[in-house]
Amino acid sequence: MKKLVTEAKLLLIGIPVAIWTLLPIYNLFIFSISTKSEAFSGKLWPDHPTLRNFEIVFREEHHFLGFFWRQLGNSLVIAIAVGVLTLLVATTAAFAISRLKVRGGRVVLNCALLTYFIPAAFLAVPMYKAMGTYGLLNNQWSLILAMITIASPYAIWVLKQASDKLPFELDEAARIDGASPLQLFRLVYVPLMAPSLVAVGVYALLLAWNEYLYAFLLLSNERDVTLAVALGLFLSADDSPWELLMTTGLLYALPPAAIYYVFKRYMQSGLTAGAVKA
Amino acid sequence: MDTGRRGRPVFRVFKAPVSTAVLPHIDAVHPGPRRRLSSWQSWGLVLLAPYVVVFAVFVVYPVGYGLWLARHPASYVALADDPVFAGSVANTLLFLIVAINFKMIFALLLSGFFVNTRAWIKWLSVLFILPWAVPSIPTILSIRFMLNPEWGVINQVIFRLTAEDGPNWLNDRWLALAMAMLVHVWKSLPFWTMIMIAGRLAIPRELYEAAGVDGASRFQQFRFITWPSMRTLYLTSTILSMIWTLGDFNSVYLLTGGGPADLTHVLATLGIRYLRLDQVDLAMATIVCAMPLVLPLVYFMMKRLSR
Amino acid sequence: MASVSFQNIEKAFGATKVIHGISFDIRDGEFMVLVGPSGCGKSTLLRMLAGLEEISAGTIAIDGRAVNDVDSKDRDIAMVFQSYALYPHMSVRDNMGFSLRLRKAPKPEIDARVARAAQILNLEPYLERYPRELSGGQRQRVAMGRAIVRDPKVFLFDEPLSNLDAKLRVQMRSEIKALHQRLKTTTVYVTHDQIEAMTMADRIVVMHDGIVEQIGTPLELYDRPENLFVAQFIGSPAMNIVQGTLRRTNGTAHVETPDGIRWPLGPGVGADGQPVSYGVRPDHLELAANQPHTVPAEVVVVEPTGSETELVVRIGDAQMIVETHGRPKLAPGDRVTFLVEPGNVHLFDQQTGQRLSA
Repeated sequence: MKKLVTEAKLLLIGIPVAIWTLLPIYNLFIFSISTKSEAFSGKLWPDHPTLRNFEIVFREEHHFLGFFWRQLGNSLVIAIAVGVLTLLVATTAAFAISRLKVRGGRVVLNCALLTYFIPAAFLAVPMYKAMGTYGLLNNQWSLILAMITIASPYAIWVLKQASDKLPFELDEAARIDGASPLQLFRLVYVPLMAPSLVAVGVYALLLAWNEYLYAFLLLSNERDVTLAVALGLFLSADDSPWELLMTTGLLYALPPAAIYYVFKRYMQSGLTAGAVKA
Repeated sequence: MDTGRRGRPVFRVFKAPVSTAVLPHIDAVHPGPRRRLSSWQSWGLVLLAPYVVVFAVFVVYPVGYGLWLARHPASYVALADDPVFAGSVANTLLFLIVAINFKMIFALLLSGFFVNTRAWIKWLSVLFILPWAVPSIPTILSIRFMLNPEWGVINQVIFRLTAEDGPNWLNDRWLALAMAMLVHVWKSLPFWTMIMIAGRLAIPRELYEAAGVDGASRFQQFRFITWPSMRTLYLTSTILSMIWTLGDFNSVYLLTGGGPADLTHVLATLGIRYLRLDQVDLAMATIVCAMPLVLPLVYFMMKRLSR
Repeated sequence: MASVSFQNIEKAFGATKVIHGISFDIRDGEFMVLVGPSGCGKSTLLRMLAGLEEISAGTIAIDGRAVNDVDSKDRDIAMVFQSYALYPHMSVRDNMGFSLRLRKAPKPEIDARVARAAQILNLEPYLERYPRELSGGQRQRVAMGRAIVRDPKVFLFDEPLSNLDAKLRVQMRSEIKALHQRLKTTTVYVTHDQIEAMTMADRIVVMHDGIVEQIGTPLELYDRPENLFVAQFIGSPAMNIVQGTLRRTNGTAHVETPDGIRWPLGPGVGADGQPVSYGVRPDHLELAANQPHTVPAEVVVVEPTGSETELVVRIGDAQMIVETHGRPKLAPGDRVTFLVEPGNVHLFDQQTGQRLSA
């Protein structure tokens, strides 16, 4: 009997939590499989579920979706570029600070930490003006570089924490074995840091893919914008095809969810470790 | 690490009786050279350079430029005169106080729920991450549609249950703000719950077992074991969450766009509003005004994390 | 020729000086042990030799060549660390061959040298395993194998046996010694365990608080410690020490302790009235009937270990350890007398701790 009561109590928590979590996503899903009329009837499940919306999106059959594939590609390319380049910048910096104990390393780390804590939304307007000065507005590189700037600090912090766990004697043994700094980096440091590198790379990639504010500030050409911005453009019109918007939104939301679940193991340990320490 | 102890050694230096002086001429006292390590140090600088460049070009310069744009006192006067500004300050503060506490308390409580090892709870915890893992636009827009007074799911359900029309959620300042807060909580709760779970799992099981033997109730176990261990983490998380909430642009912008009639703006979205009105100096002034809220919190976090 | 020379070495960490001027030489092929309590500077000295610490002052030379400005990898040394420092992501084979791989040596040469080292250390069955799959002793051997493959001029060992259990330690001690006899490479070995030092060394450097207390062969240090520190550091159980006053009258001498005991002493050393520290090793106190050169004692504890018996006895006010052979029939509370041969006595000036020699 006690077991049943405990189970009931847990369900009493679990069911509302499940509904709360999934309702917006479920709504997204419903819209994407409903026809225009059914979507606005507020049904909990469409009488005639259809994949027609997906077809319209994939074939770019609506003027709002004219560049769907291109924009999807933009999102992808930018996200991957940010992931890779952030990894490069952060790994070298973390190595220099943690293993080579470079002079000024602590200062740089503190600067990075400061950048991490200041909310990105407050950096957006200055960044926009600066990119204007650099002549990079409407150039995809402006978004890539901005995202690297935002993602690197946390990446460096996480990598440094992970680096500090490696015994320093490994570096000493490698030095005595004859390793140069680059050989130490390439043959000892990077292989041992592999799990953290995955977490950081995925983190930066997701950050760039999910980004809206900077994307819409820095890019305006319909061909060059990311899918996020394109979705935002839907909002400005009056008679937008909301069900198509939801469909596109669903498609846009799937990759990050999938990637997160694939790399879940790395993400959870990699990203919460630093926090719990505090 | 070998560190000698201070104080005069009691015993004198003893010279080895078989000290051989067969070595050819070698330079006498040689100060420890820095040159030998320089190749490692210079590589350190080279490898640090990419980030330093990124930082200088995309943080230092923009911030400097932004501050320079915010230098006119006239901007601040204009802000003080603008009722939208005052309103958004109030909204921001409300957001901070209500949304964060609401969120953190739930994160703490749910963390207790999610450490349970039942299979279905584990599955639920996997699904629970979704709001945080998926991008904001589709989900917040979805919520926006759910709240549509005519055809949104929420009002449809209310109508079916009560045969009355539900409220116009996003057309009333306070309702809209509340909804924005709920959106924010919806999006960020999973992350903080994960942090709390990690904190709970760090508490040794034996403490609970001992307490159980001592006859402590669930509440007492929370009060005397869980909470003392989690207190610091909770505080740090709250402060960090405050910083991030201050910077939450998406929740307000995508849900209400700052409306109705610019009444739900918060400091994060206000800057963009001025930017779109082509009043860049006001935008920057807004950001500067937000700093007294942000910087003390940042200072606190820096002290905690950087040793 | 691979001699090592330390000349006027000093080391400071910031304002704190930890090594105060050390000079000694190590001959080619010698097994030199640096021993001393924690914090005496032995590891620091070793790391300066390895190039892992900067030298504040003085010169270190390997094979006649000053190496102060030479990078670790060019000093032709190999080091075995206390925690082995094996690369976790590489197999045993790759660990051992790493230094050659860095130098871009041809693969056949790497394979040959790794095979030879593996054969010497009985690591052949483990070549493809990873460090996490090995026991502590095996890992230690891999660390040594990595050093052997380098074929260096000098081997450096930094307390390599500290992380092993007692039994393994004994086994590895003789293995390292056998390795040295086989390869005849100059070896500098750091430990805090004086038994390791005594059993393995050709010569020992006893260090304390950043200075050298004494250098000598194990038996030299045991039979003729030059100061009180070395006398009490070397030898287990430690030497018994009492404080007293030297009394020399009419050609006879003894040391008188405040409790009235007269400790036997030979002729010749020290001045009458000099405060001294009187030392005698536990195995130099012999049970004997009342005769000259004896002291009265009362048995406190009897600890038979099988072949020997350790006694804790009270002589006057002092409590001492005695080691006797066999199993004398004694019980706590018994009154006995011990003979002390004057030749077995170690006398030190009470103030300076230096040995008083004839």
